[in-house]
Amino acid sequence: MAYEFTKEDLKEIEKLKARYPEVKPVTLPALWIAQNRFGHVKPEVQKLVADTLGLPEAHVHGVATFYTQYYKEEKGKHVLDVCTCLSCQLCGGYDILEYLEEKLGIKTGQTTEDGMFTLNQVECLGACGYAPMLQVTNDNYVNNLTPEKVDKLIDSLKNGEKPEYEKIRMPQHKNT
Amino acid sequence: MPQVIIDGQAYEFEGQHKLLQFIQDLGKEVPFFCYHPSMSIPANCRQCMVKVGMYVKSRETGEYEIDDNGNKVIRWFPKLQTSCNVDVADDMVVHTQETDEEVRRAQKDNLEFILINHPLDCPICDQAGECPLQIQTYKYGPEGSRFEVKKVHKPKRVQLGPRVVLDAERCINCTRCTRFTEEISKTHQLTITSRGDKNYPITAPGREFDDPYSLNTVDICPVGALTSADFRFKARVWEMNQTPSIDITNGKGCNIDLWTRDNLVLRITPRFNEEVNDHWMPDEGREAYRIFNENRASKPKQKLDGEQILSSWNNAIATFNEQIEAHDKKDILFVGSPHASVEENYVLSKFANLVGLNPPVFTTHIEKGKGDGFLITDDLAPNTNGSRMLGFNELDEKALKNKVKNAKLVVLLSDHLVDRGVLNADDLDGKYLINFATNNSETTKLADLVIPITTAAEHAASYVNVDRRIQRTLPAKETRYTNRRLDLEMSEGRLDRYGTNFDNWVTEDNKVDCLPLWRFITEAANNSGLDLALTSGREIMEEISGNLASFEGVSYEIMDEQGGIQLSPDTKTAKTK
Repeated sequence: MAYEFTKEDLKEIEKLKARYPEVKPVTLPALWIAQNRFGHVKPEVQKLVADTLGLPEAHVHGVATFYTQYYKEEKGKHVLDVCTCLSCQLCGGYDILEYLEEKLGIKTGQTTEDGMFTLNQVECLGACGYAPMLQVTNDNYVNNLTPEKVDKLIDSLKNGEKPEYEKIRMPQHKNT
Repeated sequence: MPQVIIDGQAYEFEGQHKLLQFIQDLGKEVPFFCYHPSMSIPANCRQCMVKVGMYVKSRETGEYEIDDNGNKVIRWFPKLQTSCNVDVADDMVVHTQETDEEVRRAQKDNLEFILINHPLDCPICDQAGECPLQIQTYKYGPEGSRFEVKKVHKPKRVQLGPRVVLDAERCINCTRCTRFTEEISKTHQLTITSRGDKNYPITAPGREFDDPYSLNTVDICPVGALTSADFRFKARVWEMNQTPSIDITNGKGCNIDLWTRDNLVLRITPRFNEEVNDHWMPDEGREAYRIFNENRASKPKQKLDGEQILSSWNNAIATFNEQIEAHDKKDILFVGSPHASVEENYVLSKFANLVGLNPPVFTTHIEKGKGDGFLITDDLAPNTNGSRMLGFNELDEKALKNKVKNAKLVVLLSDHLVDRGVLNADDLDGKYLINFATNNSETTKLADLVIPITTAAEHAASYVNVDRRIQRTLPAKETRYTNRRLDLEMSEGRLDRYGTNFDNWVTEDNKVDCLPLWRFITEAANNSGLDLALTSGREIMEEISGNLASFEGVSYEIMDEQGGIQLSPDTKTAKTK
């Protein structure tokens, strides 16, 4: 399959180019545009980005492989990054991960057969206050997870609804 | 003059210097891996850490603040600094590992980190013996490892390109190789993939590292991560000896080192010369080691009844003289060569002069469009300018062909004219061809008399490059008639020094049965009663510089001292003062 940017994508990239004194910094946003378009940045897509920007392929490859958020292989429609770092682990991060494994019938790192979900285990996402938590496809966080909340999330994702951004107040200390 | 105090000693300086380079130039040492004087400074190996501070001056009076003990107060930088990217400044105080325990400790701990995932496979690693990581670990590193967990595994034996093999586990991610492709060769073929402890240099997926300068990354790799596909596992560094020489595969004349063991050239690496090639050389030039070892013309050959048979030197000399005498002078053509040195060409022309012939002719060996403006030139011969400056008649290929057609005796100096398509077998039909040759080729096959001569690896001789810089080679390989222990210009490796001819690592066959051109010509001339005595390249160069204005002031001593001599462009064809 040959990958190609749409006209809108190209226009967007041109706009980005105008924002920087040189082309190199556009690598990151251009890779995002590509990932949003194709769902991944496999080597063919990296080449497309490099050719579009006129940058060396090796450079784009280096950037794409540096960040885990760029998917170097095809993933499910929704990527669930479950945090199992310290705070989440203490609050049951592994329970959530195992619950998801059971529910989706896949192991960590795998994608469901229908291509809907990919399950990942990740390190701290900086939301220790609302542990355990997970992130959906490099986007919104779902916090204070319970099995019920996970069920709801999976259902809504299956219905095509993405989780909303959740505003949580930090615990407040009463000054006496 | 501003001054910097390094390890308690004051040094004056002028202009801008980076601290690491400044310390090195003083002949002192700070360990480092990623820094390279010809490339940008990323300061990512963190090995060159030193303690840096400044004397404190009062803002009001401009005077140094003095502490209770009467010493100048030093305001230390809050952290240790990587000396590679610190600019030397006036009143700067530097403590290196030589005087400061903290620096020593920092360097040691940094090395411990670098070594955490390093396989420590020095016994089977090609880099061992010339490995900065190995050397510096011995000098500054920890005594053992405290790392008891499994090391990270990465790809091994990755064929990055036709000439370079990667062992990612050995890599310390100094980025010298990627910076080389970005800044020096500008092919941008390498990048560091991934991050953290999983990163290593690689090409873009599906791409080959086929950079024409790719092997330079092997030289600058401070560990054994990048190795030469060709040289891999051939020899340990300490078995070889290293002889400075000149690249003879193109017109640039890159300064090189020939690495020999048992009289075989095993590899060629670039030698620093700011005026010519900096630290680099093209991959093609490294392939030239084969010229010195393989397919050599050894022992004279003579055609009898249409078949070449081995002959003796006495016979070759006699035949050579007979042929010169037997032919009418106008039927004899001497062809010089841009592939041969100044000395060889000069000897040929001197002999031609002695027997009353016209000066030799030659034709250039130029492939238009091959050059890249860096170290690869259109000119495929190392000494085109040298032949010109000797006053040889420069002919284009067609004119040379005609000249050969009209001659009856052709004396050809080490230029494979048939192989490179200037002449063909028909042109030489019915003529007597004497070929002074280093290697066997289609040209030597057609010759009636093949006289094997020494290559650039076996004699001291000089070459004038495309920019008119004259540089010289040193003998690296013994012939049947030379001996390292007697020739003071030859280097002696361990095996040479301690081996005897009865050791199983000494191979007599690696010594080629050939003579320097001047020796053969001298013997031939003396044999026919001519007065000629040319014994070495050095003497011949003395004679040339005395006789030819274009070579005035050239001597081996000055060439050695200054890394070659830039000849003035004006004296292009000037001859005899």
